[in-house]
Amino acid sequence: MDGVRVGNRLIGTQAPVTIGWENIPRVEGGPIKQFVFTYFQPFALFAMVTFWYYAPNSIAKASTAIWIGIGFKALLLALEWVNPRFESWRLTWKEAMTDLFYVGLGYTLLDQVDNFIGSGAVIEAVRNSYDWDKLSWFTGLPLLVQAFAISIMFDFGQYWMHRGMHNWYPLWLPHSVHHYITQLNINKGAVGNPIELFLIGLGIGGFFDFLPRAALLAGALGMTIGIYQHINVRFNTPRWWRFLFNTTEHHSLHHSQDFEATRSNYAGSYIFIDRIFGTCIDGEAELLGMEGGRRMTVREQMLFPFTEGWKSLKAKYGKSRSGDDGFGQSDAVPAE
Amino acid sequence: MTDQATSRNFAGFEQPLTTPSNGHRVNFRFIDWIWNVRGSVPLEPLQSSDEAFNRLDPLFREYGTSHERTGDTLTFSKKDQPAQDKMSVFDAGVLKIEQGVAGAALHYRLSSRALLFCFCLPLLFLFFAQATIAIGEYRKPAMEAAEKAKAAKKKEPVVRELHPLDTFLGAPAPEAPKKDGAAKREDKQHSPKSAYVFAAMFAALYVIGRILEQWLVQRLFRKALQGG
Repeated sequence: MDGVRVGNRLIGTQAPVTIGWENIPRVEGGPIKQFVFTYFQPFALFAMVTFWYYAPNSIAKASTAIWIGIGFKALLLALEWVNPRFESWRLTWKEAMTDLFYVGLGYTLLDQVDNFIGSGAVIEAVRNSYDWDKLSWFTGLPLLVQAFAISIMFDFGQYWMHRGMHNWYPLWLPHSVHHYITQLNINKGAVGNPIELFLIGLGIGGFFDFLPRAALLAGALGMTIGIYQHINVRFNTPRWWRFLFNTTEHHSLHHSQDFEATRSNYAGSYIFIDRIFGTCIDGEAELLGMEGGRRMTVREQMLFPFTEGWKSLKAKYGKSRSGDDGFGQSDAVPAE
Repeated sequence: MTDQATSRNFAGFEQPLTTPSNGHRVNFRFIDWIWNVRGSVPLEPLQSSDEAFNRLDPLFREYGTSHERTGDTLTFSKKDQPAQDKMSVFDAGVLKIEQGVAGAALHYRLSSRALLFCFCLPLLFLFFAQATIAIGEYRKPAMEAAEKAKAAKKKEPVVRELHPLDTFLGAPAPEAPKKDGAAKREDKQHSPKSAYVFAAMFAALYVIGRILEQWLVQRLFRKALQGG
């Protein structure tokens, strides 16, 4: 495969990818379908922001946000059914069950771990050890500014954590598990080794004091922008949206079987962060995964960072060391 | 015994499993419906075994699938099969063509780790629920002490105000914090509710999967045998 030159890099020499918006297929169907799948994303964003901005205090609660989140995901699953981006990404029972298992871990086991050693515990400790009233000016800002600030702080941290995972072997090991998925569906963001899910969930937005409504608005931004990373729906995403926000197209390229393509589009919600730091590539891919599309079992997903880490350590420091570059012996190809 | 032979036994038709330690035969027939799907599809009139297996052949040429045919029996096993494999939910199986009163039919028994895993998930999440309750009980004294210390140190709650722009646009003003809110606050950190919800969801998902996958694979075999 020849690949396509993007800046100094050749993308798509190992697996097929589509580069450039003009080469990406459009939604097929009548005018109503075209209209719905062109304006769905901006409409959902503005509807959610308006709702949380004006909802009475009795409704503007975290429990409402959870139910809206569940309802929105159900709607997106229905859209996957109606207008899939790729037939080969159709959600099967096995995929739905496995995805839901990881969503369940996030709500139960990881939630408990987070209380002890994750951002929940760190935020509590830091807040107790410093007079954070000095940052109370933050709550005086307009609601949408607070919401965007919370959201961008989290995404900026996530960008560097994610980029770090693709550039530093010890972080790549837990993250690599997520790259073995062979299709994108609405809950695929939850699939991965629990260590990685814990790391990627760390954020510093919680240090700041903010109005509860601003936090709910920030959650709405995440729900109606970041959620489209993993979704099997063909949209005619507006030009301004795909310039600012991460899309399925961007993220499918990040999950491609082509090594160079995976080294792009790291941000969770705001693709302009990638544009600023030169890691954005506009395009899409259908053929996803690692090692030619090998799907890991749940057992391997849980153990892989440890077994691979052990193999690498043995190769580097063990008695049967065959060469100087011990890490090269491993099955998990480091992303750098 | 080779790995392949073991997996063939595991998916074998009526063969009971043999425990390796003492050689006693254990019949799993009463519970193996949990992870095994059995069924049969009648062959087309005058369709030979060769023709039938040739039509089914593409199904066993997927990534990670190995298969072996002996006479009227085909055994297969799968490893790391991708989601795109139409039989990805199954890990091993036996397909056999047998002559019956009404003509020849393909009988199959397919085993699925995914079904077994899903069957066990409600138990795992019930365990998480119990563990969450136990952690909550264990941490209760420490958390109550911390809450009391916090309440003693706490300054008069500040009533936050909206930015004038938000007031102008009509956003509801924040409520004044309740003074005794912290003391009476429910311990949401250690609520087992979500674990119970997921346990129920996986129980429902198992029932759906057990019925759906049996129906889907029967339809897949029927279509393949008809050359569709």
